[in-house]
Amino acid sequence: MKSPSAILATVCLLLAATAAAFDHARPGYQYEFPRDHFSHSTFKTEWWYYTGNLQTAEGRRFGFELTFFRYAINEQGGDSAWDIRDIYPAHLTLSDIDGGKFFKTDRLNRQGPGLAGADTEQARIWNGNWEVQWLDPASDKSPQRLKAYADDFSLEFTLTPAKPPVIHGLNGVSQKAAGEGQASHYISFTRLEVTGSIALNNQNFPVTGQAWMDHEFSTDSLGPNQTGWDWMSIQLDDQSELMLYRMRRSDGSTDPYSSGTYIDPKGRAQHLDWAQIRMTPIEGSHWKSPATGGLYPLKWQVEIPDLEIRLDCATDLEDQEVVSRKQLGPSYWEGAMNFKGHREGRPISATGYLEMTGYDKPLTIGPSK
Amino acid sequence: MTAALTLFIRLIVRPLGREPGRTALTIFAIALGVAVVVAIHLAGTAATGSFQSSLETLTGDADLEISTVGGLDDALLASLQALPYPVRFSPRIEGFAMIEPQKVSIPVFGFDLIGDRSLESMAPPKSFDLDSLTRHDIIWAGSGVASEKGQQLRLTINDQTATYTVGGILETTSSQGAPRPNFIVMDIAAAQKAFSKQGRLDSIEVFLPERDDRRRNDRDWEALISAALPAGVTLKPKGSRTTENRTMMSAFRWNIQVLSYISLVVGAFLIYNTIAISVVRRRGEIGVMRALGAGRAAVTLAFLAEAAFLGAMGTALGLLLGRIMANGTVEMLAATVRSLYVSSTPGEILFTPDVVVVAVVSGMGVSLLAALAPASEAARVPPSEAMARGRHETAARLATGRRLIYAGLLAVASWGAAQLEPIGGMPLFGYLSALLIIAAAACATPAIVDRLAQWLSPVLRAAFGAQGILAPRSLSASLARTSVLVAALSTAVAMLVSVAIMVGSYRDTVIVWLNERLQADFYIQAAGQREARQYPTIDPAIADRIEALPEVQAVDRFRGYPVYYNGRPSILGAGQSEVLSRLGNLGFLDGSPPQQVLAKLGSSDHVIITETFANHHRLNVGDTLQLPLGGQLVDLAIIGIYYDYSSEGGAAIVDRKTMLKYLSDPSPSNLAIYLADGANPESARAAIENATSGFSVTLADHRTLRERALVVFDRTFTITYALEVIAILVAILGMAGALVALVIDRRRELGVLRFLGASAGQIRQLILFESGLIGLFSNTIGLALGTVLSLILIFVVNKQSFGWTIQFHWPIALLLGALTLIYVAAILAGIYPARVAVRLNPIEVVHEE
Repeated sequence: MKSPSAILATVCLLLAATAAAFDHARPGYQYEFPRDHFSHSTFKTEWWYYTGNLQTAEGRRFGFELTFFRYAINEQGGDSAWDIRDIYPAHLTLSDIDGGKFFKTDRLNRQGPGLAGADTEQARIWNGNWEVQWLDPASDKSPQRLKAYADDFSLEFTLTPAKPPVIHGLNGVSQKAAGEGQASHYISFTRLEVTGSIALNNQNFPVTGQAWMDHEFSTDSLGPNQTGWDWMSIQLDDQSELMLYRMRRSDGSTDPYSSGTYIDPKGRAQHLDWAQIRMTPIEGSHWKSPATGGLYPLKWQVEIPDLEIRLDCATDLEDQEVVSRKQLGPSYWEGAMNFKGHREGRPISATGYLEMTGYDKPLTIGPSK
Repeated sequence: MTAALTLFIRLIVRPLGREPGRTALTIFAIALGVAVVVAIHLAGTAATGSFQSSLETLTGDADLEISTVGGLDDALLASLQALPYPVRFSPRIEGFAMIEPQKVSIPVFGFDLIGDRSLESMAPPKSFDLDSLTRHDIIWAGSGVASEKGQQLRLTINDQTATYTVGGILETTSSQGAPRPNFIVMDIAAAQKAFSKQGRLDSIEVFLPERDDRRRNDRDWEALISAALPAGVTLKPKGSRTTENRTMMSAFRWNIQVLSYISLVVGAFLIYNTIAISVVRRRGEIGVMRALGAGRAAVTLAFLAEAAFLGAMGTALGLLLGRIMANGTVEMLAATVRSLYVSSTPGEILFTPDVVVVAVVSGMGVSLLAALAPASEAARVPPSEAMARGRHETAARLATGRRLIYAGLLAVASWGAAQLEPIGGMPLFGYLSALLIIAAAACATPAIVDRLAQWLSPVLRAAFGAQGILAPRSLSASLARTSVLVAALSTAVAMLVSVAIMVGSYRDTVIVWLNERLQADFYIQAAGQREARQYPTIDPAIADRIEALPEVQAVDRFRGYPVYYNGRPSILGAGQSEVLSRLGNLGFLDGSPPQQVLAKLGSSDHVIITETFANHHRLNVGDTLQLPLGGQLVDLAIIGIYYDYSSEGGAAIVDRKTMLKYLSDPSPSNLAIYLADGANPESARAAIENATSGFSVTLADHRTLRERALVVFDRTFTITYALEVIAILVAILGMAGALVALVIDRRRELGVLRFLGASAGQIRQLILFESGLIGLFSNTIGLALGTVLSLILIFVVNKQSFGWTIQFHWPIALLLGALTLIYVAAILAGIYPARVAVRLNPIEVVHEE
């Protein structure tokens, strides 16, 4: 799966009692695009996650994350535009890898009179002046224009899918835990070609690179004793990709419902059971967050024996932790990664993103209590 | 140095110490004068300086503000928030709620409690519990409004009364001295509903980034944001509203502040008098000191030092007294500000250094200036001059001719100043004119007193015998001293008379206007607090229901909007001109028949404006008024200017049809109900009450409404009267002190009288008679001077600062009462001196020779 920011997961727990009326992710869901790229208000939780590794012509490397969340808190809604049915948090980060700096910012809105949303009609996902606009929504390779403006920096990209969207899991369902409905519908663009520019410190950096987009919607997908997760997107230089996630339980074990997907260069997806996946944090590679005290492993070893893939995973920027402001939710580490290793005996490298949640504390607190 | 000290001690300190009572009276009179200035200064600042609500200490200061008449379409917020700039846009709803049953009015702010990051400094709750935000009956209350979470408050907002639950208590994070937040915060969804402003925002606050990569400055930002705004939506630097409100009230504050100086002007006469008496009484000592080698300058300085001493003591005491008086004054001023201008809660009374400077400069300055003439006169006492009294007065009498010429010149200058235009909206020349005419009167007073005394002598002799001869004689005999007393008291009387005439005329004008204007039988408005320039709305269905009643002939639906025109807060109103022209009344400046003008009002984009609006903005019939309405700039042709005394900022009125063309909200804020011919008012009232059941509205007949208007009017002028009374008090206190001095000065004369067989009673009568004469003369001169001053106030100062037409009118009963009181007070002021006179031992006194 693509990780939710912790906030959403915890809100799930918080409001589990009212969840009965929402739809759950069940096998056999009929996907339909472009509709399924946008909002699913009958599901409680939904997010759109853009991450990417970019560089300038001179080779200066950047990573970015732009995430839109939707979380239903009041099914009934109301008769005025401002009445709250869903809340829309959003996170934006920029990893200036070679500058050694990490920029992060967040925001929260309601739909209101069009302040935030993910609308099929408009083919647009937005939160204030952070937005992604599908330019040709009828096509499954529609370019998307991404814009995000923060106090310190801004992003303006065009993202063009090299492959059509992938649906993760089995039979349209990405299972997260043993219970029925503890699952999500999970769609990814695993290789988006990026062109555009980053404005930072009064400088404009034209960049190119690769981005990844996850879109996931669910209702109460987490199991009760799950305390966090680790998730990776890996874009290999042989034009294949891997998505892997591991659900951690309170006793330190990994939930067997953890899984992954392999996408071959032609865009065909192959589900990976947890039994087919090895993703291991390296002892002694931990970085301690000065902000939250979270202890995050920054080096990993990834192995998919069936595909003869073996990769060492590391980052050049330690602090890529998203510290949530105030009571808006737990913090998490989400950063640009490099992968080096072998596939079928030949050297291979990759870039990607790693997300680690629940390292500062278990995900048991809510956004505003 | 020691010589100077000896001089000072012999000439000043000892005499002062010998008459502690008189010294204390003088000091107290100055203290009162200074106190009034200080109190008005402090209270004025506190009452009008607090538009910057404590809310801004919570949300931080926005840099810019977007607003328009009738509110912004809230879709505008979405398009602004999507602009590619790191700028924050925060929506606001603003209004008032009345806490039931106490009927306390407090501001209510609607915020986007989810998205608005400007609320982060709020403590606690730092963030808002999501469940509460989905409900419309949860409010967050400042700690000045409620004390604990979960508390229930009954609030009337617009025409609805409902129970709300406190979801949290808001406290400012700023310094301890700050007032406790006295407002209510609601989520914007709940606020829109409560105020019937669905889909609208009162304003959007703009927060610019602290740092900007592209180094755009405030002007760049204004240009960028303006480009994204539709026509008719204004973008202004935040705080310009505060500035505009301050500007609007500056005339009010100015006039109150000027009035507060009256007591000090009266005090100046008294200082003059005190020093002059000192000089006259110590001529012997001065002569001796000069003979012993004291220079002229030393003598002048000694008397100036006396004035400085009295001034310093008076100022110190006045500061203390003023601070105490400010407590009582601030609420009085705040009430006036609220009913006339804008809603504002009085701030803290801050004892700033500038108040001390004002007090010291005015108290000491006035004392020294007033003492200058008598002190330099003291220096002219030749060393040879010893005990002889009388020569000085002769000189004074000889000088009256010249003073009359001065008086004439001053009066002409006063008339000239009255013809001049105001400076920056301030009637500075009006005040100068008033000051000049007072000076003219002061110059003319000795001659007038002399003449009056001469005329009165035969009459009094016939009526009162010996005392009747002696009193006016002695009065005109010690002319220089008594005429100053008369000048002081008559100045105070004149001020009182002038203000009484002005306020009385104004009140009378307003009553006539109210009678003309209030033609409907009943009036309805929302029960929610109606502050100045606030128009809580009522459900349009109420008007329709009432109109359908058989008892009712017609309903005039009025809607007011607060607007800013050329930086001045004013009112845009819309009424049904058809109803008004058929059944109502409106007085136009040019005398046009209201039916004719009102018939044209509804036919096109026409507007009628109030006299004050026309004056402030220099507009005439035929001019065009451009107003931003509903996202466009609308040109309205001015077809009439009418008399109106309801608000200083003035109003522009269009027909309801014109308003609905641009602003879609059909909710009226006021209804005027005209009953059918022959309808029974009682049964009509019952039917109307029935039609409005379920809504919190107030129903009033025209009589009640008129009475209410006058209550507000009278409250507004309470402070004015209070200032006058204090000025009179200062004058009377001073008079008592001066009379004691006169008595002591005339002890030989009085001793001789006793010696010649006058009884103690006769002596007492003589003194009381004299004080009565001073009262009479002061009243006479004061009445005349006051009438002239009132003309300046009504036709120059008022016209220039407020722009109202006031019909001149004598408040005869009030004036008679006041003058009688002053006369009695003047006689009473003679009691103590009379006792002093009676206690003089005739033998001892005569032995002094």
